Amino acid sequence: MTGVTFEVQAGEAVALIGPNGAGKSTLLQALLGQLKHTAKRFEVPTGAGQIGLLPQRQSVTEDFPVTLQQVVTMGRIPHRGILWPSRDDRSGVQRALEEVGLWNLRKRRFGELSGGQRQRGLLARALASDPKLMLLDEPFNGLDAPSREQLIAIVRRLKARGVGFLITTHDIDLARQVTERTLLLNQKQIDFDETECALTLEQVQRVFDHHAVEIDGHTLATAEHHNEMHHGDVHGRPEDPEAP
Amino acid sequence: MIDLVNPFALPFMARALVTLLVLAVAAGTVGVIVNLRRLEFMSDGLTHAVFPGLVIGFIAAGSPGLLPGALVAALISAVLLSLLSRRSGDQNVIAIVLTSFFSLGIVVVSTMDGYSGQLTEMLFGRLLSVTDAQAVITAVLVAAAVLLVALTWRKQVFRAFDRSGSAAAGIRTTWLDIAANGAVAMFVVAAAAAVGTLLVLAVLIVPAASARLLTRTIAPAVVVATVIAALGSWLGLSLSWHLSIELDVQAAPGATVALTLVALYALAVVASLLLSKIRRVR
Repeated sequence: MTGVTFEVQAGEAVALIGPNGAGKSTLLQALLGQLKHTAKRFEVPTGAGQIGLLPQRQSVTEDFPVTLQQVVTMGRIPHRGILWPSRDDRSGVQRALEEVGLWNLRKRRFGELSGGQRQRGLLARALASDPKLMLLDEPFNGLDAPSREQLIAIVRRLKARGVGFLITTHDIDLARQVTERTLLLNQKQIDFDETECALTLEQVQRVFDHHAVEIDGHTLATAEHHNEMHHGDVHGRPEDPEAP
Repeated sequence: MIDLVNPFALPFMARALVTLLVLAVAAGTVGVIVNLRRLEFMSDGLTHAVFPGLVIGFIAAGSPGLLPGALVAALISAVLLSLLSRRSGDQNVIAIVLTSFFSLGIVVVSTMDGYSGQLTEMLFGRLLSVTDAQAVITAVLVAAAVLLVALTWRKQVFRAFDRSGSAAAGIRTTWLDIAANGAVAMFVVAAAAAVGTLLVLAVLIVPAASARLLTRTIAPAVVVATVIAALGSWLGLSLSWHLSIELDVQAAPGATVALTLVALYALAVVASLLLSKIRRVR
């Protein structure tokens, strides 16, 4: 994967959209320092726990014998290493749990929570390390509507407090609800622009070409809308010199 | 009635029990990590990998050579397996290492005179002829294994729960794997002299698996696994004594302990089914 240029500002959410195999996970891994890369400029927060990850749901063992509180406490490990949690850690865990509205369920076994609660619990774990940048990997997959709304509300609150978000998703509609800018990716960068402008019908069709992905057509901006916004300039074409 | 107290007045029975109780502590700590991280097959690989070490140590220095030989083989294979399985990410590697080391051990031991007796000893241990020195070495190795797991405990649990999340939190997985496998390797060596390489797994895995059925979180599981391992050791040894003295049936003590542990596991299965029924009713 080459030619990807983007940034995430503090308090901003960027959607990372592309079909399976587009390189979304690769990009996240590179941001986490788990892959070697040859980027000319590469700046990420490097302090302990400053990048939080909400992993894809299937990567978590659901019948694991831990309580929600214990899961969230895992988020403090970057700060504590092998030591047992301090008072600071415990209050950080409490803040994170209250943030996602699950403090009351902290003693519940993780596997007994609903899908949406688990997702918020894992979000709290990422929050517990006081991250500057949050990576959310397909956070809305398999969630029902109320859970989605709750997750969206939490993301909005955190953005207001200056946390930056990079959110991979298939869901165009959700991208438009919570993100300011969108990085369209399919092996290479298709576009990086304000979400409204990046997610035009023709661009989304290009990105998802030959991929069986359900797209809620009526929520897409049309090409005309895109041209109106940009007075007819051509954004995000592969030959666009702005997208190296 | 099976006598649960008096047999242990005999020094060799007492030494056997003490050895097993020491191993029970590791069964509760190292065993729970093996269970959570699903390292059972890896542990099986290590028990087999230790075997040629036992054989070569024995040939080089007789009985005193057993433990050093096993320790060297175990630590080499622990590091090797950690690195290899990280590379390929599948379990074939373990199977290949497992069988090649084991075959190597058999080939070497088969060149010796009267090898079948020695083979039996190495595979099944000599629980009733554990010496004081061996008991001390067992205790030292178990202490080291428990320490290794205790120091990495929270990270091991994090990695077991969610691999990508722990990697994202900056946890160095290679070292963590080497620590876990190293602890298992030391446990295997510690237990090999007493219960033999083949029955190590019974002590390491079965009590932790039982505890997992009976508990909802990890801390109680550690306690329950330790208690089950200790209880199974005590009952198993007593049973084996009873069989051989009262009924004149020469039951191998190590294997009797292993079967007792499995019987306790069966009870745990029944108990957990009942527990979940009760919970559903409430």
